[in-house]
Amino acid sequence: MTEAAGFAAWVGAAVIVLADGRRGLAAGIGLVALGFTVLAWTDGLWPAGAILLAGGAVSVFTLVRAGPQQWGLMPPASTPRLILAVVVGILSLWVAASVTTGPGASLRFASLAVLGLMAGRLLQSQSPTAVPTAAAALALALAGASGLAPDGAGWAPYFVGSVIAAGASMIPAEESRGA
Amino acid sequence: MEPELAVALPATGALFTVALRARPRAALIAGGALGAAGLVAIVLSTPGIASDQIGLGLSISPLSRALLLAAAASLALVVTFAPQRAERALLLTWGLAGIAGMAAIAAAPSLDLVILVALAIALLQAAVAGRRPLAARLRAPALAVALLGAGLVFARIDGAPILAKLAAVGLVAGLAAAVGILPYIHEFDPDEVTAASPIAWIAFVGPILALEVVTRARDLIPSAAAAFGAMLIGLGLLNILWGSLASWFSEKGASAWHFSFMADWGLVMCAFGVPVADGQAAALLVMYGILLSRLPLYLWSRQSLRERIQTDRPINLLAAAMLAGSAPFAGFAARVLLLRGATQLYWPLALVIGIGLLLWLPPSLRLGRSLGLPKGRQAVGAGIALALSVAIGLYPQPILSLAGL
Repeated sequence: MTEAAGFAAWVGAAVIVLADGRRGLAAGIGLVALGFTVLAWTDGLWPAGAILLAGGAVSVFTLVRAGPQQWGLMPPASTPRLILAVVVGILSLWVAASVTTGPGASLRFASLAVLGLMAGRLLQSQSPTAVPTAAAALALALAGASGLAPDGAGWAPYFVGSVIAAGASMIPAEESRGA
Repeated sequence: MEPELAVALPATGALFTVALRARPRAALIAGGALGAAGLVAIVLSTPGIASDQIGLGLSISPLSRALLLAAAASLALVVTFAPQRAERALLLTWGLAGIAGMAAIAAAPSLDLVILVALAIALLQAAVAGRRPLAARLRAPALAVALLGAGLVFARIDGAPILAKLAAVGLVAGLAAAVGILPYIHEFDPDEVTAASPIAWIAFVGPILALEVVTRARDLIPSAAAAFGAMLIGLGLLNILWGSLASWFSEKGASAWHFSFMADWGLVMCAFGVPVADGQAAALLVMYGILLSRLPLYLWSRQSLRERIQTDRPINLLAAAMLAGSAPFAGFAARVLLLRGATQLYWPLALVIGIGLLLWLPPSLRLGRSLGLPKGRQAVGAGIALALSVAIGLYPQPILSLAGL
């Protein structure tokens, strides 16, 4: 189950990298939230997982509620993004499974993959919808990664991450205005 | 209870100023009163004793407390002596929101929460309508969060020894991106409103974020402490060189100010990289200089920068001396402490830093001129900033004692 959850988080992050439309971004953030939620639940953190899921759901709802509804998956000239998604996934898998030891390999993989892919998306994108969505996915990944803390980081990172993920999608996506 | 109040009171003050925006005087009074109450909570907080009122174990360290007080003083200075055209209630709104975020960063029980709060502040700042596109406003701070997060993940996982070094790389790179120094210089627009300007935000929120990341990173990756310190020093030297030279030769006045902040941040990085008490004291004093001298002077110089006014009055020379870190200003004490700390660590480093310090002089003369001739409120503000800097420079011990150094 944890392997599937980690894989779902990576697929979600890859979709955020590959999509320009709001539906595609919503699907991506939804998968990221679902992946980290299941990882938290399998670690016994039921309320924390539910909080993450709620944050992801608000983010998905906000994205699909307004604006032009398109998937925008793999638009022309998106080959570099596809390569980025695959390479970051392979590197994260290598680090999580071979370089590191101990339990929680799925969480390590999901955290590194989502953080790496969102960093790439932030650097590459000019879209006023994609960048806040990447920030929302970052918040979810950071909250989920707090489960790697030796004594557990408590509920607070999950709550704060969830609120940020919900709030990031609500930032008005208008372009620049005069000062 | 004090750490919770230190976050909640300024945040409430920010909300009040928004609600009372139609009545600016009432907004200023309400925001000022709640901000002052938050300041009292910060002063009364007992360092080292965690408050568990909301089940989080919040506590503010002496160093963070000292920086929070400096940030509050900087906000008071900027709002009280704001330029005529500036909307003071708006400045107070965002300043109080920043103070609340900084108090949350300082009190957070883990680095996870520090990074998440930094992301929340970045999103809030990006939500302010500015001249840059949303993607440009959010890109650099969110990238900083991603790098800091990656560093944190590497620090927490067991395995090959190289993981601790990778964690150090992530944390230093994230810190550099957060404070907008090489290799992650933030995009800015000289005509952007102060509340949306990355220069003002980094100078205001950056010190507490940098302090918390560095102090917590040392505890997280003790095995890579030497690599962490070396990277901070290397990055610091690079930014001292780049920032001061670019500030000197840059065509635009606003860019010159931007690069001068980078040079100061380079000094902070070097000081943080020197793992002796003098290094930490130097870092604190340079950050005091950023908050209480460079930031207010930059904001007061924006009008004359737009009008391309340059004056050569005594006030300009004094401002230049303060920005250059010459005696008797606070920057001088910071530089002496840094050189002493660097000498204890490795004397050739002190030599390199000493040569780098000379580069502050030419750009500071230029920046001092760009202040124009302050009049009215701004003249009083500039006088207070100069007096504060002299007081700290002549007798920095109260500040250092407050910070537990």
